[in-house]
Amino acid sequence: MNNLLQVKNLYLRIKSNKKSEVLRNINFEIKKSEVVSLIGESGSGKSLTALSIIRLLEKSCKIVNGEIKFLDKDLLQIEEKEMRKIRKKDISMIFQEPMRSLNPVMSIRDQLLESYDDYKDKNIDSKIIQNLISVGINDANRVINLYPHQLSGGMKQRVMIAMAISCKPKLLIADEPTTSLDVTIQKQVLDLLLELKEKLNMAILFITHDLAVASQISDRIIVMKNGTIIENNQSKEFFIKPKDEYSKSLLESSFYSRKLKENISLPNENILNIKNLRVYFKEKNTMFSRNESYIKAVDDVSFSMKPGSIHSIVGESGSGKTTIAKAIMGLTHITSGHIEILNQDIAALNKSNMRNFRKFYQMIFQDPFSSLNPRMRVGNIIKEGLCFLKPQLNKTETNNLVEDVIKSVGLDVDSLYKYPHEFSGGQRQRIAIARVLVLEPKLLVCDEPTSSLDVTVQKQVLDLLMDIQNRVQISYLFISHDIKLISNISDTISVMYKGKIVESGKTSDIINNTKNNYTKNLLKSVPQIKN
Amino acid sequence: MNTEKSYSSPFSSYLYSKETMKLENNKEKRDYPKLLYKGNHNKYYKDNTKNILFTSLLSILKSFIFIFFIYILFFRKYILRKNSFLLPFKNNKTLLLSLSTMIIILLLLYDLGTQYYVLGTDKVGEDVLYKSIKSIRTGILIGTLTTIVMLPFAIFLGIFAGYIGGYVDDIIQYVYTTLNSIPSVLLIASAILMLQVYMSNNPLEFENIYERADLRLFFLCMILGLTSWTGLCRLLRGESMKLREVEYVQASYTFGLKKISIIVRHIIPNIMHIVIITVVLDFSALVLAEAVLSYVNIGVDPTTYSWGNMINAARLEMSREPIVWWSLFSAFLFMFILVLFANLFSDVVREAFDPRASKNYE
Repeated sequence: MNNLLQVKNLYLRIKSNKKSEVLRNINFEIKKSEVVSLIGESGSGKSLTALSIIRLLEKSCKIVNGEIKFLDKDLLQIEEKEMRKIRKKDISMIFQEPMRSLNPVMSIRDQLLESYDDYKDKNIDSKIIQNLISVGINDANRVINLYPHQLSGGMKQRVMIAMAISCKPKLLIADEPTTSLDVTIQKQVLDLLLELKEKLNMAILFITHDLAVASQISDRIIVMKNGTIIENNQSKEFFIKPKDEYSKSLLESSFYSRKLKENISLPNENILNIKNLRVYFKEKNTMFSRNESYIKAVDDVSFSMKPGSIHSIVGESGSGKTTIAKAIMGLTHITSGHIEILNQDIAALNKSNMRNFRKFYQMIFQDPFSSLNPRMRVGNIIKEGLCFLKPQLNKTETNNLVEDVIKSVGLDVDSLYKYPHEFSGGQRQRIAIARVLVLEPKLLVCDEPTSSLDVTVQKQVLDLLMDIQNRVQISYLFISHDIKLISNISDTISVMYKGKIVESGKTSDIINNTKNNYTKNLLKSVPQIKN
Repeated sequence: MNTEKSYSSPFSSYLYSKETMKLENNKEKRDYPKLLYKGNHNKYYKDNTKNILFTSLLSILKSFIFIFFIYILFFRKYILRKNSFLLPFKNNKTLLLSLSTMIIILLLLYDLGTQYYVLGTDKVGEDVLYKSIKSIRTGILIGTLTTIVMLPFAIFLGIFAGYIGGYVDDIIQYVYTTLNSIPSVLLIASAILMLQVYMSNNPLEFENIYERADLRLFFLCMILGLTSWTGLCRLLRGESMKLREVEYVQASYTFGLKKISIIVRHIIPNIMHIVIITVVLDFSALVLAEAVLSYVNIGVDPTTYSWGNMINAARLEMSREPIVWWSLFSAFLFMFILVLFANLFSDVVREAFDPRASKNYE
């Protein structure tokens, strides 16, 4: 008996949807101390599968058929009381968002205490400290008295892992445990998981949408789509020769690249010139106390970009890359420095000239779910910019422009009369692109335009952006944390760390022979698909 | 309006207390006197119970005729013209159900109300049903007028505080925190007392008691409105602070929209659901507050028909023996129904204006 967990013929249905099951015919098994990755896009049912194993499904979900065997026990048949014991001893789970899975009003010690049976033991503190040290928190003596908000994201995830392994589980379910973390921390967490797996001899069910992460950690890969398993393959074979078409397209999407125009002569003038930009935020002060300490979000940043090129700013969260984008768009005040667009210092423009000038540079936001007003029809959303930035157009001209642009981003004219919530994430990002494209800007600031999208959709949106660049003269300023993606699409790169640009130059120079230690570290941490 | 002498219980033919009556042969007798205007004019049967049952049956039959017409209008094909404004209601079962209930209750009340005092009479012999219905006006007036007074304060100050921030925010916050910490009953009481002093010092300015009563009602609405905007203002401040950072607001800023157009186009539509819910909750609270204020004699004028005054009067009615329960009961019933339906109505309105929740109407 080699199997730790066996899922057989699992069918799951959501009560409001009577027509079809959300999960159909799920069959797989996990052997002892094996790492299995569940891969799929959002809505493919990978999280539901995991939740049905640990029986944490919402009440609206109902398992219609199937059995989940864990060490000869059918988890779907046993009493809740017994299930609780299993959750306590044998199966643990790590959730995606470490910020939300820790209780903000409990100290780390109290949170960890919950996962022990012998919490009345006098030596429990030393046990907790041992446990925290084993997940790589070295100053555990200090950490156990802290509260979650005093820890960084990576530390919180370590605490979560410590909670999960405190009972030495036989199976650890990790639901996208690294998605909200920076790459360097992601690598640390992945290494930690692998190390713990060896030490505790436990199996891991790893849920992710990122193929590269999966290839780093797993022995076996299971691909899910629309609630069914499409492929179940050994990791080594999968990345060399996937059996299924969909798996192939997933694999291709994660190798996105654009053909770089070689040796084109770029004009001498710059479309964007940033000189000694500083954006400082005052630390919170109340009405009566003047507190003159600052957070240096952007500190003495200078770079420039050529028309028709793609420049990328890459950095981890908190490095100040989004603040630069906001400073360019005028969404945040500038402490000092100059921003020149088309050789025009935008700080020197007065209000009405500024309004006219805005049509030359526009922005695409990260989250297409919050960048479109839910109470406006798509047509009105696209028209908004036109009405304010090109008021000389009459009604029919505006309507024609809007219809043209919605077709050019690959949507029907019908969609102009719909509301944003009727579209998927990718379609919404297309609408957001259409909204700025209709103004014919010269510079487009893209703030992580694809990071909240699935890989295949990501590819489509990037294709669209590249296609637009081939049609019209436009420059992109990409802002991203994903150095792998950036290195495939951009002409020049600036690497940011803690508000400063640590390195700037041509993509090939930076990727292939960087001199900077931070960039080296960043490049090393990026998960690569092992072949 | 014809009034009886004093209390009589619902559907009764006699007064509620015994009186000494002179008989024809000059003898005196102590008994329950007959009611003068209603309760002794049975249309169909002499026996009250039989007559009530028959009248109810008849009026229900009558209402079914109406309901049948409504059914034909909304549920048969080809009756409604294509451009008729009633078309959206076609085949709407909820509409049929609520209209039918309304028709049945109204006809029942009408048919029974012409023959009996359905909810009895009060101390001065007035029909309690009539009083309760008249009180709806006062309740709704206080609810809506106060809301209208309070809404502009709440919406404008809330959005300005949240969206503009900085010193504007500080000032508005201090204003409403200060206002909130004044005990509102004391404030209302002092305002009403001030008005009463003014009215008794200048009796010539008011031609009759109705004018005084109206002025007092209006004053009450104003002072309630001035004290009750703080809650909604605080909610809206928080929400617009959140919306200020949302990406679609930032996107429209990069389109060069002025602050005021961002507020009108993006912020106001997205806080409307909070406004609607709070307004209705406040409306209900105000209807109930009127009752409380009248109970402590600082509400509407005692001559105004209002549930608060009815409840105030019930204080004495409940302490006599045998007790008079119907005034309090009908004030409670009417208030309950109004507040419940205001809440249900607001839910539907909010849903109808939310593009994510509304069903397809095409």
